[in-house]
Amino acid sequence: MAHLAHYRESHPLPFVITHWINLVGFILLIFTGFYIHYPFFPNFMSQARGVHIFFGFVIVINCIFRVVAAFFIKSAPAEGTRTVETDIHSWLPQKGNRHQLGAWIKYYLFIKKTHPLGAKFGVPQKISYGLIPFLILFMGYTGLCLWAPAQQVGFFSAGITLLGGLAGVRVWHYVFMWVFIIFIFIHVYLANIEGLSPTFMMFLWKEHPGLTYDPETGTITGYDDLGGSAPKTEAAPVAK
Amino acid sequence: MTTEESTISPLQARLDARGVSRRTFLKFCVAIAVMAGLGKAAAPDVAQALEKSTSGKLLPVVWLELASCSGCTESTAQVTTPDIASVVLELISLNYSETLSAAAGVSLDKARTDTIAAGGYVAVIEGAVVRGWDGNGLRIGGMKGTDLVKETCEKADAVIAVGSCAVDGGWQAGYPNPADCCGVTEFLKAEGISVPIINIPTCPVNPDWLVAVLVDYIMLGKLPELDDKNMPSLIFGESIHDNCPRRGHFENGEFVYQFGSVEEEKGYCLYAVGCKGPQTYAKCPITRWNESISWCVEAGSPCIGCANADPTRTTRNWVDTMTPFLKRQRNMRIGDLYFQAAPVAATVTGIVAAALVCHGFGMKAAGRTKGGADFEPIRTYDAKKLKQAGKEAPTTPINEGNVEKFTKGGDE
Ligand code: SF4
Ligand code: SF4
Repeated sequence: MAHLAHYRESHPLPFVITHWINLVGFILLIFTGFYIHYPFFPNFMSQARGVHIFFGFVIVINCIFRVVAAFFIKSAPAEGTRTVETDIHSWLPQKGNRHQLGAWIKYYLFIKKTHPLGAKFGVPQKISYGLIPFLILFMGYTGLCLWAPAQQVGFFSAGITLLGGLAGVRVWHYVFMWVFIIFIFIHVYLANIEGLSPTFMMFLWKEHPGLTYDPETGTITGYDDLGGSAPKTEAAPVAK
Repeated sequence: MTTEESTISPLQARLDARGVSRRTFLKFCVAIAVMAGLGKAAAPDVAQALEKSTSGKLLPVVWLELASCSGCTESTAQVTTPDIASVVLELISLNYSETLSAAAGVSLDKARTDTIAAGGYVAVIEGAVVRGWDGNGLRIGGMKGTDLVKETCEKADAVIAVGSCAVDGGWQAGYPNPADCCGVTEFLKAEGISVPIINIPTCPVNPDWLVAVLVDYIMLGKLPELDDKNMPSLIFGESIHDNCPRRGHFENGEFVYQFGSVEEEKGYCLYAVGCKGPQTYAKCPITRWNESISWCVEAGSPCIGCANADPTRTTRNWVDTMTPFLKRQRNMRIGDLYFQAAPVAATVTGIVAAALVCHGFGMKAAGRTKGGADFEPIRTYDAKKLKQAGKEAPTTPINEGNVEKFTKGGDE
């Protein structure tokens, strides 16, 4: 059993909020999206469309804010440390990620027994998180292509033609929603399979004791019990 | 006698003879004026122009029928119920039409070549161009259809492609398109013939739209305002859905889920049974069909999207992109395999979810679910590097229990 300490520095408050917005937005968008795709119960269409369009804008704006903020807000480049640097560093390949893609894959395939060292995000995580803003923007764009008031604006009508007419855009928007759902499944799974402490951090901003890590040297440096008396050997998996 | 052939009697007399009142005629002019992009106020001008042109020279038209079902000719001629549109169509001199011309054989073909030689005519094309078998898939009067189109369109002042087949291939170009059919735009482009083209899709063409385009052309001597697909923007600039009389039911979430149901009787929205109105741009709900009596959705059928067209991409014909008609989403196709995106996407997602569950059991079996496995003391790559340099790399996995021993004991 080993896991790194979860400090607030790794997920500064603004990002906890954007994550909340994403969670609520995605759930509402996916539900209303399914409804608009096929109204499986009556009397809800204008509400579904209203919510869908509103939260579509919310998610896109939230995404743009999140990406821009990454250049201004500082966060810890790894778990297990309170040192901070500009958040965007956590998104780009970091020193701690180097040569670790294979290690991660082997770890998840049970070939490698020990937990790979890394930066805040492992390599597969980093690749998928890095693609999410593009996915959100693509969903926003195709969504607007399907929204009548935008359809005849050149920027969107060009995309409609490119993606095979409105019938084609519908399919793209729909299929990529499923890509989103797959991402969410994997994301939720990987974030929680080794204990729920990352979730408590992300949603409730609750710190959790664990090993400390030095992003400079890329090594484990010790243990932080957060001033409490958490047992060292039987690391409490769930913050209670 | 010959002069009589090229002029017609005053319009009003002809309308009277058919029992069309002045009032009805003016109403028609309003509709035409709006569709032609002149605005309602121009209705009197339209009426006047129509009246004037009845005594002037007629616009010669050559109407070619290629791979088609003659539906567009039927639709336009409306032979059983002559109406104002058919009267107005007498403004043109239909010099050549395989279906309608009284003449036949050599003399008919001569009418065509004479018209071409005289110039100043409009070519109306109905049906798709058959390119297959070196153009021999469709032969008329001993001539390849492709040559016929080339010859007729090359010298025309303008080409009007009526109906979806002529616009982008339509039905005829539906997968697998063995006859290699395509629309007029694509064909003429490939042949290097540049001539103004007006595309009027729908299956069949709405005669009122053709009339509007012709009136515009006869009156102003120019083509109506066209969009990037060379379709008249005023006719194809608004969606069916936006003008649909059932739209209120759509917004209220009142849908027909099954034909023959109470909901259908109530005239609810046809979205759930595959209506393509939201993705189809055409003035059907306004112009309507069959002398403005009704149109698809009003008559109880979901819109099947026949106004969708892409003149430069045969594979985007409305049949391939709008079927199945009664499903919300078009079919996808890989090779000859058709499928709906929904079940495939759901299955793939289900497989991923199942894989995650299995993986979860694996993680549990490996004892990683309570905080993860012990950490590697050093990255494998770095360990290799150390070994190459003849140094020793740490091997004991690190966890909460032993961490202090390693970090304090000068691990480096
Ligand atoms: S019937 Fe079709 S076009 Fe009319 S409101 Fe319903 S979905 Fe839209
Ligand atoms: S309502 Fe739809 S199916 Fe009917 S003619 Fe218009 S575009 Fe075609």
